[in-house]
Amino acid sequence: MLHEFEFRAPRTRAELLGVLADHGGLAKLMAGGTDVIVNLRAGGIKPRVVVDVKQVEGYGALTWSDTDGLVIRPATTINDLLRMPGLRERFPLLVACAHDLASYQIRNRATVIGNIVNASPCADMAPALLCLDARAVIASQAGEHEVPMREFITGVKRTVLLPGEVLDRVVVPASSVGARGGYAKLKRISGHDLGLVAVAVHKHGGELRVAVGSAAPTPVLVSGLKETDDAATVVAAAQAAISPISDLRCTKEYREHMVGVYIRRLLREVA
Amino acid sequence: MLEDATPDTLKHVGGSPDRIEAAAKLTGQALYVSDMTLPGMLYAQVTKSPHARARIRGINTSKAEALPGVRAVLTGAELEYRIGLYVVDKYLLARGEVRHFGEAVAAVAADTLEIARRAADLIEVDYEVLPPVLNHMDALKDDAPLVHPDLGKYDHVSAVFTPIPGTNIANQSKLRKGDVEKGFAEAEWLIEREYTNPSVQHVPMETHVAIAQWKMGDEVDIWTSCQSPFAVRNLFCYTFRLPLTQVRVMVPHVGGAFGGKAGIHLEPLVACLSRKAGGRPVKFQATREEEFSLLPCRSALTYRIKTGVAADGKIIAQKMTMYWDAGAYADYAVNVTRASGYSAAGPYEVPNAWVDAYTVYTNKPYGTAYRGFGHVEFFWGLERHMELVAQVIGMDPLEFRRLNTLKPGSITLTGEKITPNTGNPTKCLDVVAESIGYGALTAEETAREKATGCKIGKGIAALHKAPAMPPFTSSSIVLKMNSDGTVVVNTGLTEIGQGANTSLAQVVAERLGFDLAKIRISPDKDTDRDPYDWQTVASKGLVLAGNAAILACDDLLAKAYEVAGQVLRAQPADMDHDGEKIFVRHHRDRAVTFAALAIGYAYPDGNAIGGPLIGVGRYIAQGLANLDKETGQGNCALDWTFGAHGVIVEVDPESGEYHVLKICSAFDVGKAVHAEILRGQAVGGMVQGLGTACCEGYIYDEQGHLLNPSFTDNKIPTARDLPDVIESVAVETPQLDGPFGARGVGEHPMISVAPAIGNAILRAVGCELTHMPMRAEDVWRAMNQAAPIDNWITKTPNKSCKK
Amino acid sequence: MMRITVTVNGQVYERDVPGHRTLLHFLRQDLGLTGSKEGCGAGECGACTVLLDGHSVNACLVLAPEVDGRCVETVEGQAKDGKLSTIQDAFNRNHAVQCGFCTSGMVMSVQDLLVRTPKPSDDDIKEAIEGNFCRCTGYLQIIEAVRDASGRTEGKGGLKHA
Ligand SMILES: Cc1cc2nc3c(=O)[nH]c(=O)nc-3n(C[C@H](O)[C@H](O)[C@H](O)COP(=O)(O)OP(=O)(O)OC[C@H]3O[C@@H](n4cnc5c(N)ncnc54)[C@H](O)[C@@H]3O)c2cc1C
Ligand code: FES
Ligand code: FES
Repeated sequence: MLHEFEFRAPRTRAELLGVLADHGGLAKLMAGGTDVIVNLRAGGIKPRVVVDVKQVEGYGALTWSDTDGLVIRPATTINDLLRMPGLRERFPLLVACAHDLASYQIRNRATVIGNIVNASPCADMAPALLCLDARAVIASQAGEHEVPMREFITGVKRTVLLPGEVLDRVVVPASSVGARGGYAKLKRISGHDLGLVAVAVHKHGGELRVAVGSAAPTPVLVSGLKETDDAATVVAAAQAAISPISDLRCTKEYREHMVGVYIRRLLREVA
Repeated sequence: MLEDATPDTLKHVGGSPDRIEAAAKLTGQALYVSDMTLPGMLYAQVTKSPHARARIRGINTSKAEALPGVRAVLTGAELEYRIGLYVVDKYLLARGEVRHFGEAVAAVAADTLEIARRAADLIEVDYEVLPPVLNHMDALKDDAPLVHPDLGKYDHVSAVFTPIPGTNIANQSKLRKGDVEKGFAEAEWLIEREYTNPSVQHVPMETHVAIAQWKMGDEVDIWTSCQSPFAVRNLFCYTFRLPLTQVRVMVPHVGGAFGGKAGIHLEPLVACLSRKAGGRPVKFQATREEEFSLLPCRSALTYRIKTGVAADGKIIAQKMTMYWDAGAYADYAVNVTRASGYSAAGPYEVPNAWVDAYTVYTNKPYGTAYRGFGHVEFFWGLERHMELVAQVIGMDPLEFRRLNTLKPGSITLTGEKITPNTGNPTKCLDVVAESIGYGALTAEETAREKATGCKIGKGIAALHKAPAMPPFTSSSIVLKMNSDGTVVVNTGLTEIGQGANTSLAQVVAERLGFDLAKIRISPDKDTDRDPYDWQTVASKGLVLAGNAAILACDDLLAKAYEVAGQVLRAQPADMDHDGEKIFVRHHRDRAVTFAALAIGYAYPDGNAIGGPLIGVGRYIAQGLANLDKETGQGNCALDWTFGAHGVIVEVDPESGEYHVLKICSAFDVGKAVHAEILRGQAVGGMVQGLGTACCEGYIYDEQGHLLNPSFTDNKIPTARDLPDVIESVAVETPQLDGPFGARGVGEHPMISVAPAIGNAILRAVGCELTHMPMRAEDVWRAMNQAAPIDNWITKTPNKSCKK
Repeated sequence: MMRITVTVNGQVYERDVPGHRTLLHFLRQDLGLTGSKEGCGAGECGACTVLLDGHSVNACLVLAPEVDGRCVETVEGQAKDGKLSTIQDAFNRNHAVQCGFCTSGMVMSVQDLLVRTPKPSDDDIKEAIEGNFCRCTGYLQIIEAVRDASGRTEGKGGLKHA
């Protein structure tokens, strides 16, 4: 049971931005709704208007080109991404992260962009998008501007987005093609679960990157390492960048320990 | 009632016919209470306590009452009724004080669910927050706040239970056999340790839901998702002082229960809302979150075991102390304490035994029955302890267990003598040990260890359980023959997924010699239509109702033969029957069909004899008695079902992550009445046991707020969590007084899964776990000798092992 | 209130719904199709799984107005002409049903799986139903039923007798 609100499904971007401008903080954008509806049910948010972004013309497109790279738009679900031909070859890390997100039914609804804007420390798409140098293109009635993914999430459930703005697309640059990567996620069961801690390892042109989820207020990217660095160096760099806490899912010490375990495991696995 | 039919003469029993209600469930046509709406029905919601313990200074319901569409608002002030199965300690809505997080303090019925929710949110409760007592070990201290200062004034079943007024002890059960101190003095080894586990939620996929209509003249109709319609009716009438004729309880399909729906829960409150709303039907369905804290869970346990072992490896004395965390209300926890107390040593012979089992009140959601009725919890400690004892005395754990198992001639804790037909725990152990290749790793397993860097370990654990029920528990069956010769079976035993209807139909078809297609057994139950059955609990359903069914078949046939004898002018001894007709044995053409007899036989001229054929069967547990309150001695067991699990686990020594490669479960079921339903129980229970072993449990903060009241942070196993290989084995030592030799097995598959895994982890990586669940982090901590985490609010185990 | 037109199991329905109504609530309350169940209302358990334009979704996490102009399939649409579907039949044969509360959602997840992967491996099956909790069966007989429905009969366990 959800509290009462008005539902809007604008057909054009202009209309969407108009609705947002009209309602300010009282409008809530919804893509797949897998975070929004859960939140509505729990009473965590009480918007007057829920605005579905999926009907907006052009928002369903998921495109690849050698010049523009991979362009992910607001209606792109995790499974749309997984079903895209050739994606695994181009961006294996993106596929690995997407594959580990929630259950199959949820992946049919959950969007990549919703995952990022929801800005949970455990968001599974964040590690891949951070490593792959993705960019967020933000739109409002004032126009468009671009923010690198590493600046987009600013805190627990907080992003740079302002009222009236929409995340119009996420672009994964073609220059990231050729990177190798892997993802490891600690769960309480083998079935679908939020990550208690998660590690992505990304190797590209001699550079090594590590992204860590659920170990700080935001997903953390450690870049500038070298593929030739030994495991101890990489683990130390990651440990220095994270600030895990103890909570009901697991303790700080175990999170720290598992970051090390997963980095070493992934360094072995990602050739 | 052992039938001397050999397997090859059995037509239905032992097979795997289709489940009777499968098609209805597969098409979505099966109706559950959650699917029902009645004309004029209102929806209820409750206002719940955000505190573990607080005084209620006042409740303001005026805003809720003013909301359009609200038809009834209730607070505890108006409801001076208490309910309780054994200790009558719970108000329908909190009065004066709230005793646990999530307890209901006010309730609303309104035209729609949305209005009801809004109204419940508008109710203002003024609380004075009080310090809660959360840990059941703390609750035993002299200066602990009393959860029930009025404990001495509560009605209780005094023949069986002993609350101690002025303390937080809701019940103390004792058992004394032989002389424990003398046994300890003679022992070569004394081994003592403590084991713990937290509260756990049943998680039926259908949450608790009830619809009630309190009609003119105090006639009450109740539709509820429950296990035991007669228990609900009787307890309801006790609470409201109504004659049993006034209340009718109906139970359609039930979406899982597991003990959580055994007693009486939402029904009285919903009925009071209906009464207040002028007799309109009212429905309340718990949300998943409410299922975790408004409704009951399984109790936490601290189990201390001290074992004395003789030089030859025989257990000679054992002292067992159980501290059960009842939570805020006694409900079933006091009886869990009792039933666990008399089983506390497992399927082993202990000549000198001492058990003290306490049920302790705390300010947490309260405990109730849960599949295994305490045995999942205490077998965790017991079977980890047996492993420890074997290690300390330097004996192989399987050999140590085999040496000490109950065998024909052994005397149980309560003084019962084991016979060759009681069942065979040793064989169950042998079966699972062989299946997992118990002992050393195979070459293949060693190679796998090399390749993966993981460690492999193999563990076993035994189990047993008898139905926990009053000694006078009974069941009855009515068979009604239709005019086409088909038969309707009426029983008060509910179908909660365990397959009761299908198995009973098999028994009836077998005994009548009819085709299964001729047997109809209604999916729903109704106290007005169906004959009495005590409760659908305790793995006693098939045994008691099955026996009643056999007797009902005999009664039906006797009545049919009587009329047929007149029609055929034959003596009963000269007649026989098949699925269609009764005939004269030496003259097969002289026959009369059941159809012709079913509602009375009419001669061609219209003259008639007989009348509708109805078979009645009733069965009551034989030879059982209440246990002596001081010594726990007496005969309490309808039957003992023994079993064992064997497990192979693979553990990552770096991280503590582990995975079950294989599990084999064996139960001495007497007779497998329905092979596939039995396997479904075995695997389903095992996976539920896996959840308890690996991840499930209530996590609280220091104020007593439940931190994980949903699937987000209370995970249950999914299809991906299955062991790679799963084997289920039936051992069949016939139960002489069981239907076709069968005994119950509904609960057993869940018992001892956790200690088998714990024992296997010990073998793999050498770490001792004394608390379940065993999360990866717990294994990692144990491997590194780090202090365990205790966010379950149970006592952290202290090790004390001396030689 | 918004007027929506939706095709459910091949039948067209036109209804007025408030914006905040979930698809699950719409199916169960407004259309009386109570086969789809609510086990959590929060996307975790899968008891509410239905197909939306052929893809499995948690109906508790879809808003009714979103399905305007679209096709929904529920468990009620499985059996045709008085006969169980292949999947339902296999579930029945393999004793994959106990209390039945997870069953509708389970069947719909399997339907989606077998359309996209007619010959699934055990891992495919497990992945396809990991979002469908079943507290009764322990999943094994469900997995066996899916194998059976896909024409694979090996690997059936069966009860052993000792
Ligand atoms: C059972 C379950 C399991 C889950 N498991 C996981 C998991 O394993 N890993 C994981 O990472 N997540 C998990 N989630 C969370 C969730 O599914 C994901 O975060 C998902 O990707 C969110 O996408 P969505 O399209 O559903 O977002 P929505 O719920 O629609 O929106 C999420 C947020 O994004 C905003 N938003 C959406 N689109 C835009 C836009 N274009 N511009 C600006 N703001 C926008 C919304 O206002 C909202 O704040 C789980 C959720 C559930 C219910
Ligand atoms: S009810 Fe929809 S997932 Fe549980
Ligand atoms: S059959 Fe009961 S939940 Fe699956």
